[in-house]
Amino acid sequence: MSLYKQMVIVLTSIGIISGALLVSVNLLTKDRIASNKQKEIEAAVLRVIPGTKASQKIYEEKDFTVYQGKDDQGNLLGFAINTAAGGFQDKILYIFGLNIQLTRISSLYVLNQKETPGLGAKIANERAFLQFWEGKECSRPLSLRKPPVEKEKLAASEVNTITGATVSSRAVLSSVNAALEKIKKLKEGGKLNVEGDHGE
Amino acid sequence: MLRETMESRSPLQEFTKGLWLDNPVSRQLLGMCSTLAITNAVINGIAMGLAVGFVLLFSSLLVSLARKFVPSQVRIATYIVIIASFVTIADRFMAAFFPPISKALGPYVPLIVVNCIILGRAEAFASKNSVGRSIVDAMGMSAGYIIALLILSSVREILGNGTILGFRILGSWFEPWIIMILPPGAFITLGILIALAFQIERKAKQRR
Repeated sequence: MSLYKQMVIVLTSIGIISGALLVSVNLLTKDRIASNKQKEIEAAVLRVIPGTKASQKIYEEKDFTVYQGKDDQGNLLGFAINTAAGGFQDKILYIFGLNIQLTRISSLYVLNQKETPGLGAKIANERAFLQFWEGKECSRPLSLRKPPVEKEKLAASEVNTITGATVSSRAVLSSVNAALEKIKKLKEGGKLNVEGDHGE
Repeated sequence: MLRETMESRSPLQEFTKGLWLDNPVSRQLLGMCSTLAITNAVINGIAMGLAVGFVLLFSSLLVSLARKFVPSQVRIATYIVIIASFVTIADRFMAAFFPPISKALGPYVPLIVVNCIILGRAEAFASKNSVGRSIVDAMGMSAGYIIALLILSSVREILGNGTILGFRILGSWFEPWIIMILPPGAFITLGILIALAFQIERKAKQRR
């Protein structure tokens, strides 16, 4: 067999074998990977709308998905927005819950971030950042408090800045404000197809 | 590293050389990119070590099996295809069964394809040795790599976060040295560890 032929045969057969192997691995794992992602978001929705038992996607565009949360009886409890902020290194993916009137944030939770460990990464930390979002008034845009103060001293629509991570804090804040504006517009335009909203 | 060809090592020596004498991290200085990048937490170090070990073992096995058929002109291409296949398998497997770890390691799992430990062992060892020897060599190298990652990531996690495997071991009096979990901390720790390893080796040689 000539060297040329041998090279072609070896490379082709290795390519075919590994291709087949990868296809089967993909078939075996892809459902599980998709369901992992789904479960993560689902758990996050339940987490940010207190009392939710079932959640449902009601609006979707790139980096902006709205879910509604309902209790056992099917009463609407609120909305959750899953969106992304432009972080220091990469997108900060997070989700936050709103009441039905879109006037109050129930809580905010970070799903994925690659901020600087020890500094910006604190945006995913309950004590350093997330706790300040609970129950914030959001009929008007929220603002950041810098330097940070005790939780009780914050105004109704004010959130503490993380010391040493102003960029990351600001990124989340402006993204939340943008998302709020967007969902309010969607609601006014009747584009949120909320169903079962009879508030019995 | 070039000692491989002139050999008459017992299987045990073939294994243990990866742990110390030819340790991929401290002696061969291979795979530095992933070593530096993912050792900010012990759990990441373990996961990365196991993933690299898996890929190294299977690609050494296959490269050694195929060594008689692969013309030397296309050997690197062949190795890369073999390695890339196993890396993809490891990547999908982690994403399916260990999503948090897969998330933490991010792009560094796919990047195992270009980890020089694996290509280095394929080229320098598996392509010239029997299947049995190649497997033992791969296990030794993986063990050496995992040990090095464990030491590095333990030092960095303890000093940089006060925890080990997520458990707090240093009290609240301890102000974490954030630099240790940032990239400079990786270089500092690795530099000190390599210096220590060389120092120990030199002392041992003097005694002999």
